[in-house]
Amino acid sequence: MIVQSRSRAAARAVLAWGVVALFVFPLFFWITVAFKEAREIFDLPPRLANFTPTLNNFNEVFGLSLGGNLVGGGNFNMGPRLWDSIVIAVFSTLLAVTIATLASYALSRMKFRARHHYVSWVLSTRMMPPVAVAIPMFFIYKDIGLLDSYLGVILIHAVMNLPLAVLLMKSFFDDIPLEIDESAVIDGASRWYIFRRVVLPMAKGGIAATAVLCFIFSWTEFLFVLTLTQTGLKTVPVVSSTFVTSTGTAWGNMAALGVAAMAPAFLFVLLVQKQLVRGLTLGSLKQ
Amino acid sequence: MRQSTPMELRMGAAREGRLSLPGLPRMLTSEHPLPWLLPLTAMLLVFTVYPLIYNIWLSFHEYVPFKRALVPVGTDNWARLLADERFWGAMGTTFLYFFVVLGIELVLGIALAMLLDSDAPGYGLLRSLLTLTLVIPPAITGMMFLLMEDAQFGVLTWALQGIGLLSPDTPILATPSTALAGVMLADIWQWTPFMVLIVLAGLRSLPPEPYEAAMLDGAGPWMIFRKITLPLLSKVLAVAILIRGIDLFRVFDYMFVMTSGGPGTSTYTLSLYAWQQTFSFIQWGYGATLSLVTLALILILANLFIWISKVRW
Repeated sequence: MIVQSRSRAAARAVLAWGVVALFVFPLFFWITVAFKEAREIFDLPPRLANFTPTLNNFNEVFGLSLGGNLVGGGNFNMGPRLWDSIVIAVFSTLLAVTIATLASYALSRMKFRARHHYVSWVLSTRMMPPVAVAIPMFFIYKDIGLLDSYLGVILIHAVMNLPLAVLLMKSFFDDIPLEIDESAVIDGASRWYIFRRVVLPMAKGGIAATAVLCFIFSWTEFLFVLTLTQTGLKTVPVVSSTFVTSTGTAWGNMAALGVAAMAPAFLFVLLVQKQLVRGLTLGSLKQ
Repeated sequence: MRQSTPMELRMGAAREGRLSLPGLPRMLTSEHPLPWLLPLTAMLLVFTVYPLIYNIWLSFHEYVPFKRALVPVGTDNWARLLADERFWGAMGTTFLYFFVVLGIELVLGIALAMLLDSDAPGYGLLRSLLTLTLVIPPAITGMMFLLMEDAQFGVLTWALQGIGLLSPDTPILATPSTALAGVMLADIWQWTPFMVLIVLAGLRSLPPEPYEAAMLDGAGPWMIFRKITLPLLSKVLAVAILIRGIDLFRVFDYMFVMTSGGPGTSTYTLSLYAWQQTFSFIQWGYGATLSLVTLALILILANLFIWISKVRW
């Protein structure tokens, strides 16, 4: 009996590791491509460990000299694109989290008519397909000169993240017992005072998790940046798609850029493991 | 920062007094929800409601190249839409993509969640590893699969040919009958872990009592899954279906980078078709019309689903 259950547990572990390995494989393979010379990328069966690692792809993409020589090809000078991604993700996150924290405090704490409808409206803006916003925004931005500007993309990314941030922050505020506010109200503290001094410090963890998710969604966004920028700025996901050309694709360079784009997101997602389910379900499920 | 005790609060409030100024109408003080909701409302009005109205206006106009201007065309765009075979094709592709990918991700997600729902050593690491796919930019996932599905050098092509699932003369992304499946694979790879995580959270919160009772009654594992686990997971699954469903219906990134809608029109979804009509073919009014249809379909389907499944926020 014990032997049987032990072998079953072992079989389960083998299956579990096997399936997860299958999911991790494309990622692992992509990372190896970033460190390969062009001729080794295309070898079949794929070289997963038996290749000579090189930093040339990274050197060419970012114009650095990380060791090794800069051979042939060009310098793609992607450093500024990485910077664009960071600026857009940081500022759109700040904007979204600030606006969402204020709004979700009221949605969590104050009773008013049509509150439920208001929440539904916020949720329904999450349903809008980006293409239906990007098309009119392109013309609106063209008229007011926000096309191809940081501000334009920051604003649209903030708006894109607002429904997530509002609903998520509301769920974190809902977790803080109402009695804490009430006792302060009785003592004559204003709402603003309670918010700043009592509720906000207690919601720090929630705010951090919300910010991390907003950052990741801005960092990985594609369609808005594709549509609303031209030559002035581009984020990493959009610029990588330009590596596919009619004369061939610089796979090694593209993979290097892709790896650089994934690294911060991986770091961040490991920080918010505990809140990930809540975040991905807009605050409706808790882990 | 440590939390203030009620006593300190009381003192703090007394020191600072009420922040609301006596002369101000209540609506403008922090006691009223208005100031709290004003920035959010303004942002959403300017960036979702206004573009929506603009888009509707745009759908009754069309860009005329030789005039270099938008001219009113009445309901021409809407009439064109109804007669446009490519539009109906894109609609079909979108629904096909939606149902197939959602179904596979759901079934795989539930199965993997049950496999990984264990406290034995190592399983926590496995669950963390799975979350990595969720934060890769979808455009980059598209590139990864573009390389892996390459007809000559793709490792996936090579593996599938090796086990006889793919004939050597079928390039996955350049054959109309397999291109959509090739794109779906990228989506399934990236988002099945989303389902796994959500179902896992659901499994972890299940009450033990029904299982104990079922064990006593001698119910088999399949019976327990169907009669207890699935019904208890229904709320969790509804949320997962809603959120994934919205994203599937407006999918754009994968086909944009992997196939641009081709070969032929086999991987055109509504979002991609709307975008290309607007920005590649300079049919601004018609693109706007297409995007409005996509928007309307999502809003109707998602709200219908919320209403039926009683998901609440």
